[in-house]
Amino acid sequence: MSNRVRRDKEDGRKGWAMAFVVISLFCLIFFAARGRFQAPVSSQAVSLALSPFQQAVAWVANEIHYATSAVWEVATLYEQNKMLRNEVEQLRGINLQANEALAENERLRAMIGYEHSVRQFDMVAARVIGRESDTWSRMIVIDRGTASGVQEDMPVVTPQGLVGRVIEAGPNSSKVQLILDPRSSVGTIVQRAESRVTGIVQGDMDNPTMPQMVNIPKNADVVEGDVIVTSGFGGIFPKGIIVGLVSSLKNDDGGLLKIGVLESAVDFQKLEDVLVITASREAPPEPIKPPPQTPGTETDPAAQQKAEGNGQ
Amino acid sequence: MSNFGKLAAFTAALYVLQSSFFPLIAYHGISPNFMLLLTVSYAFLRGMEKGTLMGFVSGLLTDLATGTFFGIHAFTYLLVGNICGRFANRVYKEQFFLPVFASLGATTFNYFILALLMVLLGYRFNPISNVQVTLLPMLIYQLAFAYPVHYLTYQLDKKLSTKETN
Repeated sequence: MSNRVRRDKEDGRKGWAMAFVVISLFCLIFFAARGRFQAPVSSQAVSLALSPFQQAVAWVANEIHYATSAVWEVATLYEQNKMLRNEVEQLRGINLQANEALAENERLRAMIGYEHSVRQFDMVAARVIGRESDTWSRMIVIDRGTASGVQEDMPVVTPQGLVGRVIEAGPNSSKVQLILDPRSSVGTIVQRAESRVTGIVQGDMDNPTMPQMVNIPKNADVVEGDVIVTSGFGGIFPKGIIVGLVSSLKNDDGGLLKIGVLESAVDFQKLEDVLVITASREAPPEPIKPPPQTPGTETDPAAQQKAEGNGQ
Repeated sequence: MSNFGKLAAFTAALYVLQSSFFPLIAYHGISPNFMLLLTVSYAFLRGMEKGTLMGFVSGLLTDLATGTFFGIHAFTYLLVGNICGRFANRVYKEQFFLPVFASLGATTFNYFILALLMVLLGYRFNPISNVQVTLLPMLIYQLAFAYPVHYLTYQLDKKLSTKETN
């Protein structure tokens, strides 16, 4: 009898403890989502412990990816070029290694070329070592951290366009929030000279691979195929980085605004190497000056002073 | 290595595989979720208390390592571990059918709890298209990997139980 009472008491205590933990976690989620709670130390400690293993596994995964893609390419060529079958057979072994090196070489060349073409930025090259499998947010982990000069809020790009921004930098790895994440918002502008309409690019939960440009007035000059670039407003992303192309336009639920569905410039499915912009030497905006005046007009200060003198 | 160390190493290894290797086969950014599968398997093998704890720890690891909405996975995996653990006494440990197919139910439950939290946090989405784009591929991945993850968890649990008995 006493055992049963004791067991009931224990069950009751466990139930209360469970309810306490569940409610605490529930509150924590909302505090954290509104930026009132952060766990930077424990988060960095976990990243620090996991990143060497993630780097090693990501390296193995990349090698396998290169090998399988090389095998696939060879198989397709074999189908298409029957006359060269014997030669392909002989070269297959060499081709496997050569393709792997070639793919890496091309990628690095493209990156160096991009780095030379955008001399106003200091960049750090990084490799993607982790991705989130979650369906609600879009994050990646890169193998560069504060030791390489990477800090929070630094933009991350590829030669194709904008990737996202660093939201947490550990000693040897950093977490990058992609522009596909629903929490991300990037100030953008239409590149076409006649349009120059501004908007905000956000991740879309319904279509995780295609971000949306929101806050476009209904009568604004935005058409399918327009190139969208960063506007530089907000101070995080430098001006002029390509975000994507307008794939389609639809009306906002309210009916007053339009939404542009974008095809992102970066292929996020094949994201392996990225560049972190650690410093930008863009010229600061020029100070506001009064517009040039036509001599003798009413708004010309010299003419006004002369007129006042004559009146006296 | 102690039992706790082995379990921690196993969990970390699964997480590293999930985040760094399996994105290779990701479909629209969705890849198998080993942490959820581990929680389901461990809860069926070890019962409610340990299942709940495993859900909380694996969820917290996911939250801390990826930088997603903090606490969101700790919350949902804890619930999944607790619910699956309630069935532990009714299932033979050697029977793999229920844990493997329960992973589908657990994934669906986890998805809808996360969706509810997203709505409460102020994010809006079309539930039908979202289910098609995200939940269905996730279920296929989970079904494909539920057996291997459960088998590995079962083997580890058997070793740990033998060690505990001795």
